Amino acid sequence: MKKNMTYNEAFNALEILVEEIETDEIQLDTLAEKVKQANELIKFCETKLRKIDGDIKKVTEGNK
Amino acid sequence: MNLLMPQTQKLSELISDIDTTIKNRFGGKTFWIKAEITDVKKQPDKRWCFLKFIEKDGNTITTEMKGVFWANSYNYIEEFEEETQQKFVSGLEITCNVRVRFHKRFGMDLEVLEIDFAYAIGKLERERKQTLERLVNENPLIRLLDGYYSTPNNRAALPMVFQNIALITAPNSDGQRDFTNVIEQNKYGYAFAVTPFLTQVQGDNAPQLIMEQLRLVEASKTDFDVVVIVRGGGSDIDFKSFNDYELARQIALCEKPILTGIGHDRNTSIVDLMARQLKTPTEVAAFILDNNYGFENNLLRIKARILQLAEDTIDNAKDELKHYKQRVKNLNPTTILKKGFAIVYADDKIVVDPKSITTGTEIKMHLQQEIIISTVTKKAKNEKEYDL
Repeated sequence: MKKNMTYNEAFNALEILVEEIETDEIQLDTLAEKVKQANELIKFCETKLRKIDGDIKKVTEGNK
Repeated sequence: MNLLMPQTQKLSELISDIDTTIKNRFGGKTFWIKAEITDVKKQPDKRWCFLKFIEKDGNTITTEMKGVFWANSYNYIEEFEEETQQKFVSGLEITCNVRVRFHKRFGMDLEVLEIDFAYAIGKLERERKQTLERLVNENPLIRLLDGYYSTPNNRAALPMVFQNIALITAPNSDGQRDFTNVIEQNKYGYAFAVTPFLTQVQGDNAPQLIMEQLRLVEASKTDFDVVVIVRGGGSDIDFKSFNDYELARQIALCEKPILTGIGHDRNTSIVDLMARQLKTPTEVAAFILDNNYGFENNLLRIKARILQLAEDTIDNAKDELKHYKQRVKNLNPTTILKKGFAIVYADDKIVVDPKSITTGTEIKMHLQQEIIISTVTKKAKNEKEYDL
């Protein structure tokens, strides 16, 4: 998983995973891997929602 | 030298004469005039307003007369500002009812008794309509579709999550406070980076200053998810900056999504029409929070769906396994023997084709519990009575 993935990228990746898991051809032995990937993407988004990337300083007074 | 001294009279006598003449001509009468106002000096505490009425030929003032509002008509100024959403300032053209006054010491002026708002409103609406038409006519990317202004700005898709916010607003304004408070104290614990781009948002220079801030936002190293333009204070009435052609055009063509919270419920500026309008600073903040909450909800839905799918997949696999197990079991010779069938051996080989067996052959019949050894005494055709 890319480190500085955008929400859009993460979400698209998730949707593809869901689609793959939904199809009947899914192999039982790849299922665990797919679920793991999905969980990682979800965790990434959840964390990112509540934590601003380190390189962005929070500015409260006049910047420019 | 015999100098003839001119006949003189006292100043007061002449002025009284003027006073009488004016009273005879203008006394007790009122007049409707349409004129530009300038040098407007409001004294809200005393409820007076001094100003000048002027008329120009090009840039040259050709006619000028002092004017005044006293307390009994001062409310018209307040109503004018309320009705037209613009401040009563120099440069406006107004239609008003006046009385001609003359004072022996302070001279002549026009006392304003009433303002006609309809004229001012009509003029504003015409200007607004012209600006909108110009935006559409001169910019092919700005289109009017079914009464809605479609611009590159409000056509562009919004990001799934807003996190890096550029806030264009007046320093220490209620708008800045309201927006920042709601964003920072959100109950979901979402993190935001709000970068203020402070500027004056009212007055003649405001459009240029806001445009400059917008350019700074676009040139910034930070990749902002959204630009928020808010203006605070319920009493603010000067809306003029946000109807400016150049500003509206820059907003319409800006690639970053812009959310506006600059007005009240009953008015929409041209800038609002070019971007995405949300009325108040608090509503803009709420929109941003709702948007992120919606995203998180989708995440949780997907999470639940994946868990369900994984469980279903495993359950299906289990069921299938169970099914095959049953089939294998059914085919197992032990299962068959339990049902009363026997396996026939001759020469320690299972007999599939009985042709090799003749009368006198020794055969072994394997039943579930025992093996019966016997010698064949007779053979006959199977009439398929047991055709299973």
